[in-house]
Amino acid sequence: MSKHQYAMVMDLNKCLGCQTCTIACKKLWTDRDGTGYMYWNNVETRPGLGYPRQWDRIGGGWKDGSLQPSPLPTMDDYGHAWEYNYERRLYEGKKQPVMPSPEPKSGVNWDEDVGGMNEDENYFFYLPRICNHCTHPACLEACPRKAIYKREEDGIVVIDQDRCQGYRYCIKACPYKKIYFNEVTGKSEKCIFCYPRLEKGQVNACAAQCPGRLRFVGLLDDPESPVHKLVLVHKIALPLFPEKGTQPNVFYVPPFNPPKRGNYGSSIQDGPRVPLDYLIYLFGPDVKDVITRLEAELKKTQEGGRSEALQLLIGRDAETRFHVRPQLVQIQL
Amino acid sequence: MRIRQLLIIASSVLLLSSMIWAQAGAKPAAGQSLSVAVSSASPDSLLNGGPAAWNQIAVKRVALNRTPPLYDTDEPATLEIQSVDVRTARTGGKLLVELSWRDPTRDAIALADVPDTPPETRFRKVQTEADDRFFDAAAVMFPAKTDSGAIAPSLQMGDAEHPVEIYYWNATRGAMLMQAQGRGTTRRTGQNFPVNSTYQNGQWNVIFELPDLPAGTTVAFAVWNGSQKDRDGRKYFSVWQALE
Ligand code: SF4
Ligand code: SF4
Repeated sequence: MSKHQYAMVMDLNKCLGCQTCTIACKKLWTDRDGTGYMYWNNVETRPGLGYPRQWDRIGGGWKDGSLQPSPLPTMDDYGHAWEYNYERRLYEGKKQPVMPSPEPKSGVNWDEDVGGMNEDENYFFYLPRICNHCTHPACLEACPRKAIYKREEDGIVVIDQDRCQGYRYCIKACPYKKIYFNEVTGKSEKCIFCYPRLEKGQVNACAAQCPGRLRFVGLLDDPESPVHKLVLVHKIALPLFPEKGTQPNVFYVPPFNPPKRGNYGSSIQDGPRVPLDYLIYLFGPDVKDVITRLEAELKKTQEGGRSEALQLLIGRDAETRFHVRPQLVQIQL
Repeated sequence: MRIRQLLIIASSVLLLSSMIWAQAGAKPAAGQSLSVAVSSASPDSLLNGGPAAWNQIAVKRVALNRTPPLYDTDEPATLEIQSVDVRTARTGGKLLVELSWRDPTRDAIALADVPDTPPETRFRKVQTEADDRFFDAAAVMFPAKTDSGAIAPSLQMGDAEHPVEIYYWNATRGAMLMQAQGRGTTRRTGQNFPVNSTYQNGQWNVIFELPDLPAGTTVAFAVWNGSQKDRDGRKYFSVWQALE
């Protein structure tokens, strides 16, 4: 067990799918050779294929105390990098349309905004994903070289690039497919929860840049932190695929009140636009209780009362959303 | 044969191979020795002179075993490579070891050249082309302390008292000198060593240039088959062989 645990809460009701977080992360961490296809932070449309496609269907995580490695996703699942023939069109004056090559067949957020149908109505929402910095990380357990470790001081899970030999057992074991192999270095890489920023008192780049202001960051064990309040006090945020057994430390406020046409104001549990079964698939059966709680809070405010939980979810300013505590997690050297 | 019987046979083979795998501190048994030719050819001509340079040197066929699976969900691995042919020669203060083995698939790629300029100054970055490929490889392991008596270290990369040196060659990434003191401790030293590899007619031929090792030193060999997703302990290995 780590002394402290950094955690993130994302309110899915507020995500715009703008990918600002994705780009913030990419410019900061994965703009190097071999990292083109790596999205330590990605935002996918749900229901949908996800990135890499079908990652949620192929396996990984724990079952009865043993690891359940999945096959390795292939580049077809991530999508091959493509280039545009700008030179021919712009510099050589060839009268051809600017076309991508090789022909794109898959990619990050490939099925953007497709979503699913609930009877006659389309529905979708965005699911931003980073490594969950799990309490019981399957990736760490799978590495025969012990190259992956969970930082004692703040629970962040990182790969020691000196120890990693690129065996990719971690990728197979992670049920969220949040580790990527860098063919140039021959080593695997993952989200580092922006620990170099946290150590300087700066919040994660994805959270800092999010215009939807839906990301909350802090120590789960810090009673003052918004993540502690949302997850443990108000109990309105849940991990993704809890049955995979890794105990994620990224939590989601589920989409709780998108009304079906002509159904505004009535409960999501009574003719919901997003089928409850799909939310149970993602967040487990507890999602029902969470939605009930959220609806009760909403009702409170609609009747003129005040809801601490909803006030917090508005996340007006950075002080409300982020509690970065470098002084608390410092290691004594 | 009924499936149940097959399973029993398969599991006893596995058990046997794990017993071989786990043996530590054993002396190589009789018959597990390698004669070493004393060559008048230069190390460089043995390394780079083609097959003719090795014509006079006797071949020993060394049996390979398969390591037991790491997880019960691992893809089953059949014994596709059953042996490796070994020739050794001493010359000019070096020990040259030639390993050749049959492998119908050549699992190697030419990695893209990474420009010297820092990536942030370039519009185009080198891309990862395939994240799910593993490459053919081979290694020669021997005790780091060759004077520590006739006891051979654990085949599982030695232990704290019996560290090992591993001369590792990878068909894509080349030669790397590694050291280990037990399973999971293997680390790259950052050094490499002269190696020459060719693949022809379904056969790998890899020549390692090692420092000279005294007679009686034990050496062990490993072969990885990329198309069987071999890497790490998922591989073929020989038991210790004593150099004559
Ligand atoms: S999400 Fe995956 S990579 Fe991240 S800690 Fe959990 S198991 Fe490891
Ligand atoms: S920056 Fe915020 S709103 Fe935009 S996609 Fe990311 S999480 Fe959603």
